[in-house]
Amino acid sequence: MNENEIVISVKDLVKVYPAATHLLGDGGKEKLAVDRISFDIHRGEIFGMLGPNGAGKTTTIKMLSTLLIPTSGTATVLGMDPSKDSMKLRSRINLVSGGERGLYFRLTGRQNLDFFSDMYQVPREKKKKRVQDLLDLVGLTDSADIRVENYSRGMKQRLHLARGLVNEPEVLFLDEPTLGLDPEIARETRALIKKLSREGMTIMLTTHYMFEADELCDRLAIISNGVIKGIGSPYSMKDAVRNDTIIEVEAGEITQSQKEQMKALPGVSAVSLESLEGRMMARMVVMDAATLIPTVASLLEGQRIISIKVDQPTLEDAYLKMVSDK
Amino acid sequence: MINLRAVKAALKQQATHFFVDPQWVIPSIIAPFIFTTVTLFLFSHTGGDLLLYAILGGGVLGMWGNTIQSSSWSIGYDRMNGTLEAIMVTPTSLSSVVLGRCLWNSFIGLLNALAVFLVAQFAFGIDVTLRDPAGFIIALVLTLISLSVLGMVFGAFYVVTRASSALFQMLEFPVYVLSGAVYSLAILPEWTRPFSYVIPATWGAEALKIATFTGYDSLGIGYWGALAILAFTTVIFLALSLRLFTYLEEKAKVSGTLVRY
Repeated sequence: MNENEIVISVKDLVKVYPAATHLLGDGGKEKLAVDRISFDIHRGEIFGMLGPNGAGKTTTIKMLSTLLIPTSGTATVLGMDPSKDSMKLRSRINLVSGGERGLYFRLTGRQNLDFFSDMYQVPREKKKKRVQDLLDLVGLTDSADIRVENYSRGMKQRLHLARGLVNEPEVLFLDEPTLGLDPEIARETRALIKKLSREGMTIMLTTHYMFEADELCDRLAIISNGVIKGIGSPYSMKDAVRNDTIIEVEAGEITQSQKEQMKALPGVSAVSLESLEGRMMARMVVMDAATLIPTVASLLEGQRIISIKVDQPTLEDAYLKMVSDK
Repeated sequence: MINLRAVKAALKQQATHFFVDPQWVIPSIIAPFIFTTVTLFLFSHTGGDLLLYAILGGGVLGMWGNTIQSSSWSIGYDRMNGTLEAIMVTPTSLSSVVLGRCLWNSFIGLLNALAVFLVAQFAFGIDVTLRDPAGFIIALVLTLISLSVLGMVFGAFYVVTRASSALFQMLEFPVYVLSGAVYSLAILPEWTRPFSYVIPATWGAEALKIATFTGYDSLGIGYWGALAILAFTTVIFLALSLRLFTYLEEKAKVSGTLVRY
């Protein structure tokens, strides 16, 4: 395996969704989903795309997996143009989306894999063994002949993964592969993804979970509003906030307007607000915590302040800093 | 391009769905039974050609809707189920999948026809004597295939929009009327003829009636003439549907509407 070989190359890729056309009235405006993004992915690498909802992660994966045509820019996957050589490319790639849909619920797990093996023209003499091997790999052998409608969410997600491997793809696109899974199944899924990567598969995934990106990805791209804000290893991402400090404030109530006031303070690069049970928590990425703490406390005057802590930045903070408007 | 292995897999998948999903019993078994029974109650006193015409129009041809609908819905089902993208990311053309499903739907249409025949013959004791039984079966098979192909044309629109069902609902009944399946073409206005002639089912209905009634040949082209035009127009519609699939797939890949439901 040549780890220096570039398997996916993206240059100035743009996707604009046209305005919907309705018979009556305005169908809305066109939407810029991906704005001149560029990156390369090497063979055997796990490359993650991290970003908030609507950032352009799924649109990017769909353009690379032949399901969407870019508005401009260029992309090559395994040396082929996904929009022009789609049929040829599809036999060498696969896409797995998170969530419960995307399977034939009235069919059994085995029947689903049989069907998709035929769609990928898996050689007949290999099909039966490959389907069984995949069922073993994802731990669904005992439920292989049960209808998918009776599967738990975790089982469905594992079947999705097995479906994504029927053609032994060189490149696997995973769109939020652990979405909604319980922690144990999510951990098993991540272990499986790492195993596939060790065996030489190139994997591009999107995720909302920082720890998942941190644990799985060799490199990450942080994307917001269709623009890549940063690209590099999780370590280098964290390094970007090495000189920052985190102020974590817990109070009975923190309003949106107070969050905006915190954001506007000098030396603050990002603020996130989280609602916990009966209280709120603000996490601020700042240059100098010691100077800012009294100001923050005075901003929350009148509120029940539970705690103010100073912490070291994590990948999540690096992410917040990069996607922050400020 | 059509891939035979995918066609076979899609046919098998459709058959499996048919047997595991009890709701299909309603349009495929119960509804045809009710249509035929009602028709026979209404016309059983008439006897002769009129009764046969009623069975043909209200019974066998009444089931065409089932064939067209299941064929056009085959992509709508994937859109609803979230499997449309999973199929489209494979190296198999969507039209191969739809064709396989349509072939199964045609087969079910044939079973419907058999059910109508059995109900008439044994439940009502009506002597359903066809002038040319073999010719009738050939015409019926080809007609059902042509209807499936018409379903493919409607179904292609599901690739771009979930609203395709509205198109189907709007065009379904005019097809039955214009094809002369339920009413004779002779009672329709002259200006509707060009529309009737481009619908394959018109020629299928003509061939079926020629094979059923002695001396029937309303368009003056005979059984084989009707069958030839049926085959020709079906091929034209098949080519049109394949072209539509390619065009609408490209359109959906630009608009990003593949997964909306």
